[in-house]
Amino acid sequence: MHRPLIIVVALAVVAAGCSQQSSQTSPAGSVIKIGIELPLSGADASIGVPTQYGAQLAIKQANEKNLVPGFTFQADVLDDVVGSRHDPAQGAKNVQTFGADPAVLGVVGPFNSNVARAEIPLSNSLQLALISPANTNPTLTKGPDAIAMRKDHPDQIAYFRVCTTDDIQGPVGATYEYTKLGARKAYVIDDNETYGKGVADEWEAQFKKLGGSSLGHDHLTSGQQDFHALLTRVAGTHPDIVFFGGNSSTGGGLLRKQMPDAGLGSTIYAGADGISDNQFLQDAGPTADDVYVTVASVNATKLPAAAQFLRDYQAEYNQPVGPYSANAYAAAMVLIHAIGEAVKGNGGKAPTREQVLDQLRQTKDFPSVIGTFSFDANGDTSNRIISIYEAVKGKWVFVTQQNFTGAH
Amino acid sequence: MATFLQQLINGIAQGGMYALIALGYTMVYGIVELINFAHGDVFTLGSFLCIAILALLGVSASGQVIGGWQGALIALLVILLAALLCGVVGVLIERFAYRRLRNAPRLAPLITAIGVSFLLQGVMRNWKGPSEISFPQFLPNPTFSYGGVHIDARELLVVVVSIAMMIALQLFIYNTKLGKAMRASAQDRDAAQLMGINVNSTIAWTFFIGSALAGVAGFISGMYFGTTMFTNGYQAGLKAFTAAVLGGIGNIAGAMLGGFLIGIVEAMTAQYISDQWTNVVVFSILVLILVLRPSGLLGEQLPEKV
Repeated sequence: MHRPLIIVVALAVVAAGCSQQSSQTSPAGSVIKIGIELPLSGADASIGVPTQYGAQLAIKQANEKNLVPGFTFQADVLDDVVGSRHDPAQGAKNVQTFGADPAVLGVVGPFNSNVARAEIPLSNSLQLALISPANTNPTLTKGPDAIAMRKDHPDQIAYFRVCTTDDIQGPVGATYEYTKLGARKAYVIDDNETYGKGVADEWEAQFKKLGGSSLGHDHLTSGQQDFHALLTRVAGTHPDIVFFGGNSSTGGGLLRKQMPDAGLGSTIYAGADGISDNQFLQDAGPTADDVYVTVASVNATKLPAAAQFLRDYQAEYNQPVGPYSANAYAAAMVLIHAIGEAVKGNGGKAPTREQVLDQLRQTKDFPSVIGTFSFDANGDTSNRIISIYEAVKGKWVFVTQQNFTGAH
Repeated sequence: MATFLQQLINGIAQGGMYALIALGYTMVYGIVELINFAHGDVFTLGSFLCIAILALLGVSASGQVIGGWQGALIALLVILLAALLCGVVGVLIERFAYRRLRNAPRLAPLITAIGVSFLLQGVMRNWKGPSEISFPQFLPNPTFSYGGVHIDARELLVVVVSIAMMIALQLFIYNTKLGKAMRASAQDRDAAQLMGINVNSTIAWTFFIGSALAGVAGFISGMYFGTTMFTNGYQAGLKAFTAAVLGGIGNIAGAMLGGFLIGIVEAMTAQYISDQWTNVVVFSILVLILVLRPSGLLGEQLPEKV
C-alpha cells in the first residue's frame, strides 16, 4: 500500500540530488543572486529607492567588468514596507525568502535598525551574509543585545555594515549644534523606534555633557498626525533647538511643518540621517529653514574615488545620488569581492554561503567609493565619517564632514 | 494658565474633527446598528477628493494664497463637491456591501466593513501614492493673540463648521419628513415599512448624509494639517468611534460632546502626562465607558429591542 508513495519519494530525492549536482558543477555563466532588502515604497521610498539603485549599479558593473569570471550576478529585490512604512516582520519574511533560494549568496540591507533587529538573528542562523548600507544603531553589533541576536552562531557573525554608528553620529550632531549654532536649551523628541530613540539618547547625552540643558524628552506614537498639543508643551519650555530622532516616515517632516503653529517657526530643528531625504523636505514644506541633519556617511561628491561612481549613477538613473546610494554601492561591491575570493578558494566553482562569509569577515583595507575600510570582529566598518547637511529653500546643502577613522 | 488655554484650543480643534467623523458613525449605527469601519476611510477620501478638485480649479500646493470672496467661494465649492462625492461613495458602499447583509448575523457586515476599509485604502494608495501628500493651504490664516494664547483662522474654521453641521443635522432629523422617516426606521424597521416608509432609500440617505459630513471633515482636516495620507482614516476613525461611544452611540449631540472631550483629553495628556500616553488614555476611556456606562454620557438613543 505504501509502495507507490515510497517510489514517489525516492524519485523526488533522486531528482533533487540531480538538480543540486547540476547547479554546482555547471560551467561559466552560472547565476549568483544578490538580495536587496530595503524599504522601497511608501514614505520610505524617497530614501530607499536611491539606495537600491546604488546596489544595482554595483551588480550591473560587476557583470560588465566580469569581476567574477564564470558567474553572472543578478539582483533579487524585496521591499520591507507594509502600508506606508518599514516593517520589521516583513523584513524578517524577506530574509527567509532569500534564505530559501540557494542561489542567493548574500543580501544588501536592511535600511532601518528596527528591521535589522528582526533580520540579524535569521541571517545568523541561516549563515547568510547581510550587509547594511545604513543601520546606525550601535546595539546591533555591540553589547548584550548584539550577542543575543547572534546566539545560533556566536563566533560566526553574518551581519556587517558600511556606515558608522549613532554613538558617533549623535554626538557629532550635538557638538555641531552646541558649538557652531550656539544652541543651549534643547527639547528632544523621538519616534520610539530602535534607531530613533537610540540616536536621540546619544545626542541628548552629548548635548548635556557639553553644558547644554535638556528641557524634556518625548516620544511620538506610530501613525500620529497631530503634533499641536505636543508642540504647545514644547513651546512652553522655550527651547532654542528641537532635536528629532526618527525618520521622515515616522513623523519627522510633519513635526517640523506644525512647529510654526505653536510659535516655534524660527527654532532650530535638528535630526539625523533618518530625515535627510526628500520626503522630509516635502512634508515640512519649502519654508522649513534652520534644519540641520547628520548623515553617517561620506559626502560622495567630496571624494575623488567616488567621481566615476557619481557620473555612472547620473548616467544610469538620470538623477543625483541619495544620501546612502554610495554606501549601498560599496556594500554590494564588498559582497561581490568576497564572492569572487570565495569562488577562487573553491576552485572556480560556486561557493557556499559560509565560504562567502569567511571572506567577508577577512575584509581588510577594501578600497571603495566611500573610502578604504575594513570590518572589525563585530562586523562594524573602520570608516567613521559623519557629514552634516542643512535644509535651504527646500534643498539639502552640504555643510561639513568629520572623520573619526582611527579614533574610538 | 496661557498654556492650559492653548491646549484647550488645540484639543477643541482636533476634537471638532473627531466630532464631524463621529456624526457619521453614530447616524449609521442608530439606524442599521452597523459599525461602519469604512467611515474613517471615507473621511480620508474626502481630503483626497478636495486635492483633486482644487487641482482642477488650478489651486496647487505651491503656497499661493487666495483671499477675499474668491477664496471663500473656492472653499465653499470644494466643500460642497467633496461632500457630494463622498455622499455618493457612501451610498454605493451601502448599496453594494451592506444592503444584502442587513439581515445576516452581525459579524458578517462588520467583516465586510473592514474589507471596504481596506478597499478604499488600496484605491487611495494607488491613486496618490503611499506617502504624505500636500494639501493646498490656499486660504489666508490670520492669527489672533490675547494674553499669550493664539488662535488662528483654521482652528476657528474647524470649530464653527463642526458645530454648524451638528445643529443643521439636529434640525434636519427633527423637523423634516426624511428625518422623521430615519427616526421611524431606527425605531422599528418593519413597522416603518408597513407605514409606507421606503426603508431602503431612508437608509441610503443616512449613508449619504453621514459620508457627506466625512467629506466636509476631510476638507477641514486638510486645511488644518496641510497634509494627508491614505492610512490617516484608520486612526481618526477609531478615535471618532470612541467619541461616538463616549457620547452615547446613536446620539448626535453625544457624538459632538464625545468628539470634543476626546480632543481635549488628548491635548491635556500631551501637556501634563506625556505625548506617548495619549492613545493609552483615550482607549482606556473607551474601555471604561463600555464597562461602566455602556450607554454613553448622554445615553444611547436606541429603542429597546426585546
